[in-house]
Amino acid sequence: MTLLKQANLLLWKDLLLELRRRDSLLTMFFFGTLLLFVFHFAFDMPPDKVAELAPALLWLAFLFTGTLGLAQLFQAERDNHCLDALLLSPLDRGALFLAKTGFNLILMLAVEVVVIPLFWILFNLSAWNLLPQLFLVTLLGTVGFCVLGTITAAITLRARARELLLPLVLFPLMIPVILATIRCMETVLKTGGFGDATAWLRLLIGFDVIFLTIGVLIFDWVIES
Amino acid sequence: MRLTVKNLAKAYGYLWALRHLDLALAPGEFVALLGPNGAGKSTLLKLLAGLTAPTAGAIELDGQPLGANGNALRGQIGLLAPSEHLYDQLTVRENLRFFTALYNKPASAGALQAALQEVGLAERAREYAGNLSAGMKCRLSIAKWRLLDPGLLLLDEPYGVLDGNGVDLLETFLREHCARGHIVILASHHVARALKLCGRALILHQGRLQFDEPKQTPWPAFDQAFGDFLPRGGL
Repeated sequence: MTLLKQANLLLWKDLLLELRRRDSLLTMFFFGTLLLFVFHFAFDMPPDKVAELAPALLWLAFLFTGTLGLAQLFQAERDNHCLDALLLSPLDRGALFLAKTGFNLILMLAVEVVVIPLFWILFNLSAWNLLPQLFLVTLLGTVGFCVLGTITAAITLRARARELLLPLVLFPLMIPVILATIRCMETVLKTGGFGDATAWLRLLIGFDVIFLTIGVLIFDWVIES
Repeated sequence: MRLTVKNLAKAYGYLWALRHLDLALAPGEFVALLGPNGAGKSTLLKLLAGLTAPTAGAIELDGQPLGANGNALRGQIGLLAPSEHLYDQLTVRENLRFFTALYNKPASAGALQAALQEVGLAERAREYAGNLSAGMKCRLSIAKWRLLDPGLLLLDEPYGVLDGNGVDLLETFLREHCARGHIVILASHHVARALKLCGRALILHQGRLQFDEPKQTPWPAFDQAFGDFLPRGGL
């Protein structure tokens, strides 16, 4: 069975389990929404500061919400030692990485599709026409988060204080992605296009491709050690 | 399938769970793996399953080291651990469908139903595995490994959760599995049951292989080793 077929099978299993448990998606959705309301009451965002503040606030919300999802990413495998069942099988470990990254990406995107428009409404932002560009940047940033997040979730999987350890390992590694995403979003909000931010955009794409490839190659070692 | 273990050792920190273990098993051998708690039985099964790496030594299946060409070799190894390795929120049938697809041995709906019928779970095919009792989960695992048909089947204390019918079912499955030329290694504290089935017995004690002989009747060497290394009350 090819790598992609195996990844599809695992992704189908994860989506089916999530559909039945609804643990991760509901928690992430409510936490993300809650954070937006907290930001709404805490910040009085003047219209001229929107471009600087909005991307950072949005990404804070995504980062915290995504970390909640990552902490649950291998929960189904922890129950009944199902990870051993997967490791015992002839499964390519790269497929497990792709499936978990894909699953996490689907959850994150589902949350973002609700959170971004809600953010616009709560902060009374008018630039609705820029949402497609912002979604594109968010997608690239989210891929980077999910790729790196899946690797770190696997590294901390057997750690006793994994919920504490996960953000401590992940957040410093995420700095290039967060910086690039925020700069791109800021430029889009200020100028209506990517303009000077194309270098940041290229960095984001490069980061995603490099870490996705590294993840497929090293996941064997990460998950078994 | 032929299994060869050379000078195998496993340490957890400073503690040696297994030391200097050599073993050669031919196709169709049924081995009872015996020993008191902490003897190293589960560690040996994990090493043979490739779930943990040895500190020293090598495991070969048909002359190929377990580490090399891992994916293909792993498909030849099964580990039946009662109540484990099943997804609670997949149905009984979905679990079988998932694992057969994972091992690239997709089974038709009829084959799945027949496997469930044999272990008495046909009526519960649509129920979540999490709703099954430990014994029923063990029956589901039997159905799973019957469908996957591994060349080397490892069992870790399967008797504890099974009722009388379940034990008969398991033993029939294991006999048939061996008859097809596959190797079975059964780790258990139920010495009488294990001895009834096996063609060879191994006794581990404090991480060392203390006894390794083909079954005989009578078997004075085993009786002696049993007295020396196994706690009383099992036979």
